[in-house]
Amino acid sequence: MWQLDSSTLITVITILASGIGIVLGAIVPAVMEGIAVQKALDGITRQPEAANDLRTTLLISMALLESTAIYVLLVILVLLFANPLLDRFF
Amino acid sequence: MDAVIPKTVFYIFSLPISDTLFSTWVMMAIIIIIAFLIRKFKPALGEMIVEMIYNIVSSVMPDDINLAKYLPFLGTLAIFLVFGNIFSVVPRMVSPTANLNTTAALAILVLLAVYFYGIREKGVLGFLKDLANPIFMLPMEIVGQVSRTLSLAVRLFGNILSTDLIVAIVFSLIPFIAPLPLIALGMLTGLLQAYIFIVLAALYVGSAIEVEAMEKERRILKQEVSKTYIN
Repeated sequence: MWQLDSSTLITVITILASGIGIVLGAIVPAVMEGIAVQKALDGITRQPEAANDLRTTLLISMALLESTAIYVLLVILVLLFANPLLDRFF
Repeated sequence: MDAVIPKTVFYIFSLPISDTLFSTWVMMAIIIIIAFLIRKFKPALGEMIVEMIYNIVSSVMPDDINLAKYLPFLGTLAIFLVFGNIFSVVPRMVSPTANLNTTAALAILVLLAVYFYGIREKGVLGFLKDLANPIFMLPMEIVGQVSRTLSLAVRLFGNILSTDLIVAIVFSLIPFIAPLPLIALGMLTGLLQAYIFIVLAALYVGSAIEVEAMEKERRILKQEVSKTYIN
């Protein structure tokens, strides 16, 4: 097998973790946002006169849901471009 | 690719000036010029913009308040964010909100505005009393205040930075025509994030100045009781 030095090992693990993390962090908020939109559309078709209130609430809650995905993206950006572990050990 | 850490453009007395800060200054100059032009010529467009911000803010604030007290702060925030989120379409400029320092400053400003308006509306004691109604919820309330400030800052920063990054990556792959739809998507996201930031700020300020309905009834009842007692 190859003899990897520690810095290469950390880089490889970081890249793997970034890939897995962005997949998991994108799937869950996407599904949840889909559910939120589905319920809001149900409400709008039942009560078209409440569409304006529902739209405001939907936009706010979508932003709150989406922010979890954005946090995942930020953590991964830090891991990829400004990795603190590489600085600490080497 | 060092897009996450902002570049230093030049130094003023050994004080590093990043590119986002320089863009902010250019943007501020543009906003001031536009504001002077609107004040001088008074087009219908200016009135329309102010009415739009008023409608957005009034849709989430409580009904029975004087909105003119809160509109200057929230409206300034709205104008800054609308310009700042789509400022990367100007050549050689970057979005000021693609830097965590800018968005953190804006979020801390919102937090301080919540305290300022709450104390101005209710007084220090009333504000502290309404902060946590059953007193054991106080730690949760403090955690909520910190975390919502953090999430305001990080959400705006992440959205703007990620759309800018996507445009940069596609530009490095296909530098012709292909980034255009993504730039349009980035502008749409920027406007939506500005809207969401304003709505959330108005929501937080509104929740700080709002007296709960039951509490209000109790106070009115108390006043009436004391009045009848005096009479």
